[in-house]
Amino acid sequence: MKLLTHNMLTSHVKGVTCGYPLLIQATEVKLNDVDFNAEFVARMIPKMEWSALVGAADSLGHLNDLPKDLVSDYENNEDFLRKVHHILLEVEVLEGTLKCPESGEFPVSKGVPNMLLNEDRVLRHPKTWIGLGCVSVCVVM
Amino acid sequence: MENEAIQLEKQHVHSVYEKTAPYLSDLRCKAWPRVKQFLLDQEPGSLIADIGCGTGKYLSVNSLIYNLGCDYCSPLVEKARKQGHEVLVCDNLQLPFRDQVFNAVISIGVIHHFSTKERRIRAIREIARTIIPGGMVMIYAWALEQKRRRFEKQDVFVPWNKALCSRNPSESGENTSKDKPVDIHPTVYSEEYRWINALRKEISTKRSYSLGSCISVGRCCIKNPEQENRFYSGLGKSLRSWFFSKSLDESSMKKHIEKMKPLRSSEGWIDNAVLVQPSRHFSIDLGHGGSLLNGQSFEEDDVFVETTNYKEAQWWKATGTLREINGGHQTVVHRKNGPVNGEQYKPTVNGTNDLNSVSNRIFRRTSTLDSTDSILDEIDVEDEQDNLVDTKDFMRYYHVFKEGELSHLIEENVNELSIVSSCFDHGNWCVIAKRKTPGVSAL
Repeated sequence: MKLLTHNMLTSHVKGVTCGYPLLIQATEVKLNDVDFNAEFVARMIPKMEWSALVGAADSLGHLNDLPKDLVSDYENNEDFLRKVHHILLEVEVLEGTLKCPESGEFPVSKGVPNMLLNEDRVLRHPKTWIGLGCVSVCVVM
Repeated sequence: MENEAIQLEKQHVHSVYEKTAPYLSDLRCKAWPRVKQFLLDQEPGSLIADIGCGTGKYLSVNSLIYNLGCDYCSPLVEKARKQGHEVLVCDNLQLPFRDQVFNAVISIGVIHHFSTKERRIRAIREIARTIIPGGMVMIYAWALEQKRRRFEKQDVFVPWNKALCSRNPSESGENTSKDKPVDIHPTVYSEEYRWINALRKEISTKRSYSLGSCISVGRCCIKNPEQENRFYSGLGKSLRSWFFSKSLDESSMKKHIEKMKPLRSSEGWIDNAVLVQPSRHFSIDLGHGGSLLNGQSFEEDDVFVETTNYKEAQWWKATGTLREINGGHQTVVHRKNGPVNGEQYKPTVNGTNDLNSVSNRIFRRTSTLDSTDSILDEIDVEDEQDNLVDTKDFMRYYHVFKEGELSHLIEENVNELSIVSSCFDHGNWCVIAKRKTPGVSAL
């Protein structure tokens, strides 16, 4: 699962008010070499939720001094575009979990997220969930 | 009805795709030019989703766009993944994407697997939700009207034929399609023979005469779970009959749910008899003979319920004319004893005695592709008692669309979309629609 894909994913559990972004807990991350296409990246950026992208990259330790805010005139900033390219397309989560801030978690296996909600999928109670990057830890009483 | 629909799709869509995934080869189902063109027409840097991507044959058409594939079937998604595609497993009815992310979406051969109109609408609405205003969707769904045949009803169960698959499951990644002819799998013969035999034994017992009025190939007259099990266990993988059912939408489910009870071989025909129509077409009035669908013991099947019994006269009327309409030639099948000379035919049985006259003959069909015609040929069968793979689970459900139905469905029920074009292509109705821009009237 590339971070570009992750940026579009949300929990679709009914009643969840904030199922986005899904927090990544990765146990295996892979780096790929992907041909850089400036125009492609420039066109992708407006489609992204920027803060979610930054958060995801950060949680995987691949932020690489990418600015937390979108720079203006990024279309012509090749250095910036290359950094974005790296995050969007070259960082891949192979194994791990995608956790919804409110409801369940979705496994990522062999690079494939499984977003199905089956009866056998147990939803974690929010109070028992410890999120990656969470400042505070919630413990069930 | 929702639960019934879910069960039906679980058994006759998801389960079948999962089990047949190892045999699927992209070479058997080529990427269609129209779909490819739709993808190539997208601007570079677009975000595209293939909802129901299968093995991902459309995901590599346009490398200038970001292609995301998703499918309900894990094994198929894994195959796509191995090709290097970006894919995920999800449900069309609950797409895990935020609103308005995609520039375009394709849905090729997916919508027809939803068993109720309501679910089909929901699926299309879900897709529409993920498209940016001005973005496009292309939907392909099987057509009722085919070039060389015509489905008699809109809700169909299509058997899967392993013989058509070019790939041995153990030879992943290899292309063997050149070597294998489209032919019947040898196990078919014995399987159908065993089934015919089973029916003969039935007839020779003290079963009600209505069993004897089965069509000799026996795809009918299921009156109790044992018969139904035999029926299914006898279905050869080469069976290319189309099984029709009442649409779940047609059935008055609720009032009968409480009355659901196991089938009994009581008087007359019950509603799960198969109505035979043109010889290639077999109609199962499931109404609520749900056990026909999954071939399991009836007690497990709480999806369908009984409706009123059919009178035998109705059954005969339905089976009285077996007229095969096949583009150029027509074969009229008469209900009489013994085989009709030469021609392709399907004998029927009038009374209890006809089965013997065709006892050593079974009929096989050959198909070109799973969505097109089949030709009925006659073969002789050796006496084999092989234990064969049970094919009862390999019946895929389709709701085939009449001309205009898909467009109409979208126009009436999916306000977010406006129809751009509609055409017939490769046995499918193809509709292209556009996500409306807020505040602008439909184009």
